[in-house]
Amino acid sequence: MYKETKLNLYRSMVRIRTFENGCRKLISEGKLPARFGMYTGQEAVAAGVSAHLDKEDEIGSTHRPIGHLIAKGCSLNKLMAELCAKRTGFNKGKAGPYHTFDPESGSLGANGIVGGSVPMVAGYALAHQIKKDGGVAVSYFGEGASNQGGVQETLNLAACWELPLVFVCENSSPEVQRMLGHEIDYPQLSIERVSDRAAAYGMPGSSHDGWDVLKIFEVAGEAVRRAREGKGPTLLEFKVHQIEGNLEGRIEAEEDEKVWCPIHNLRQKLVADGTLTPEIDDKIRKEESVDVEEAITFALGSPEPEPIEAFDDVFVEGA
Amino acid sequence: MADRVITYSEAINEAHTQEMERDPNVILFGENVSSSWRGATKGLKERFGRERVRDTPITETSFIGMGVGAAIRGLRPVVELMLVDFGLVAMDQILNQMAKSHYMSGGAVKVPMVLRAAYGAGTSSGATHSESLYSIFAHMPGMKVVLPSNPYDAKGLLITAIRDDNPVVFMEHRLLSRTKGPVPEEPYTVPFGVANLVREGSDVTIVVTGKMVGLAMEAADDLKKEASVEVIDPRTIVPLDEEAILNSVGKTGRLVVVDEDYERCGFSAEVAAIVAEKGFNNLKASVCRVATPNVPLPFNPTLEKQLLPDREKIARAIRNVMA
Repeated sequence: MYKETKLNLYRSMVRIRTFENGCRKLISEGKLPARFGMYTGQEAVAAGVSAHLDKEDEIGSTHRPIGHLIAKGCSLNKLMAELCAKRTGFNKGKAGPYHTFDPESGSLGANGIVGGSVPMVAGYALAHQIKKDGGVAVSYFGEGASNQGGVQETLNLAACWELPLVFVCENSSPEVQRMLGHEIDYPQLSIERVSDRAAAYGMPGSSHDGWDVLKIFEVAGEAVRRAREGKGPTLLEFKVHQIEGNLEGRIEAEEDEKVWCPIHNLRQKLVADGTLTPEIDDKIRKEESVDVEEAITFALGSPEPEPIEAFDDVFVEGA
Repeated sequence: MADRVITYSEAINEAHTQEMERDPNVILFGENVSSSWRGATKGLKERFGRERVRDTPITETSFIGMGVGAAIRGLRPVVELMLVDFGLVAMDQILNQMAKSHYMSGGAVKVPMVLRAAYGAGTSSGATHSESLYSIFAHMPGMKVVLPSNPYDAKGLLITAIRDDNPVVFMEHRLLSRTKGPVPEEPYTVPFGVANLVREGSDVTIVVTGKMVGLAMEAADDLKKEASVEVIDPRTIVPLDEEAILNSVGKTGRLVVVDEDYERCGFSAEVAAIVAEKGFNNLKASVCRVATPNVPLPFNPTLEKQLLPDREKIARAIRNVMA
């Protein structure tokens, strides 16, 4: 793998975490009007998958969308403005974190319904198949959504029609139990691996550590290539550990969480193989901090929508 | 040309054909849409190919959601729900994603999709194969809701629906499929939000949609010596031609609303409320609704018939408001 690719993966993950830390700060200061699901600890998945995608490819996301959107290349300014409910956001302050759509970067979109975006992503894939433009679509969802009827239906449909689609399940199940502080009496999955379901629908599936971005990059590359070549969908599962709590602007995970932290893991490897020097690391972190600060300045300096704008965009006018 | 007579199903089939000829982005999918038994879509696969006309698995959530996504990415999917009742398993995709993606995205994406659904009672099919349910779609902001009552409107409204940049729920009454009427051969559009004045009158206004339009006409004929009845078919309930309704009630002073959907919180209540709010001073009598009572439609034909609006019930309602 090229040195540049590895550094791009590292930068992409640092960007996501820096941005989310910016969000945490704004939430604590009351400048971002809602709490929402963070992606901290999962950055490797979005970074590793999106490294294979072009602007013309789509992703469908979840109610934990920041990493997916940023890795797909969306504007940080417009994203932060949307999260701060400003008119300059992607969606004029109508979407917030749960419904963010950015057609320009192919982020279509976050979704407030668990599993809600998955059937829509099949539509993006269908559009590529019909237009024969070689595009692919990626559907992100969690292990909870993997039980939803619509997700199961879409796995089946995508396999039947050989749609150019990659299903990416981010399985945080053990982590959810930890966060809830107790063992759940009745598990939501009766299998260890969500990817075992792939065989039932007639597509390849595999499970991997979600904190190993180089592995994710490798397996996602294979799945995306397969889809582009018209060979149909793949189900990839990544086990992830959400590192929640207040990072207070730090990039670093706590000691006991470092084993699952994708940024820490990649840094260890890149330092060991000489790719990442302290100077390059410092430069990347600084540059990403500057970009996030700029996004915050842009968002806070942007106007609120006018009350009357609540009535805009119910329908496409003049249609 | 206008003298050519074809069925409601044939008119819908012709609208598909002409729009698929005109625009390669128009595609069609749903359960059994390539079947030769399905008048509204038969022959389309043979003509336009298996890429553009596809039979789906029986999974409404996934294929309706797929329509939403395909529409967002520039196609113009016509997605068929075999019966509207089956859409209830896909309410997230219809009410959340199809209806609201344009708004939630602040206009960044649009969903030019048509969800065609057969509806309607009178075939002794029980409560999951007989309902109307269009009021549910009208309730959620973001979708247009179309109810053609005759072959001419069916073709023109479907062409308008396919060309519209918004999601449209296009509802075809099961028992209208074989009814015949004059339909021009060339493509034409019937605008949304413009009611059809089906019959002019001066004593009573009937607002009525779909298959019920025919019944209202029969009732008006039955009572022609007692009352001069005006029959208004809104054709689309979203957008609704309020002006036509209010103007007519301004003239007649009496309103009967006939609605095959369940009565509670439904289209009939909406029309009554609009007239109460904006036309109350013109009313000479209480508004009378003839709708399906709030009872799930039963299988037994006698029980079913007893619940549905019919010619006699409409005639009784006309007499009520005239009394």
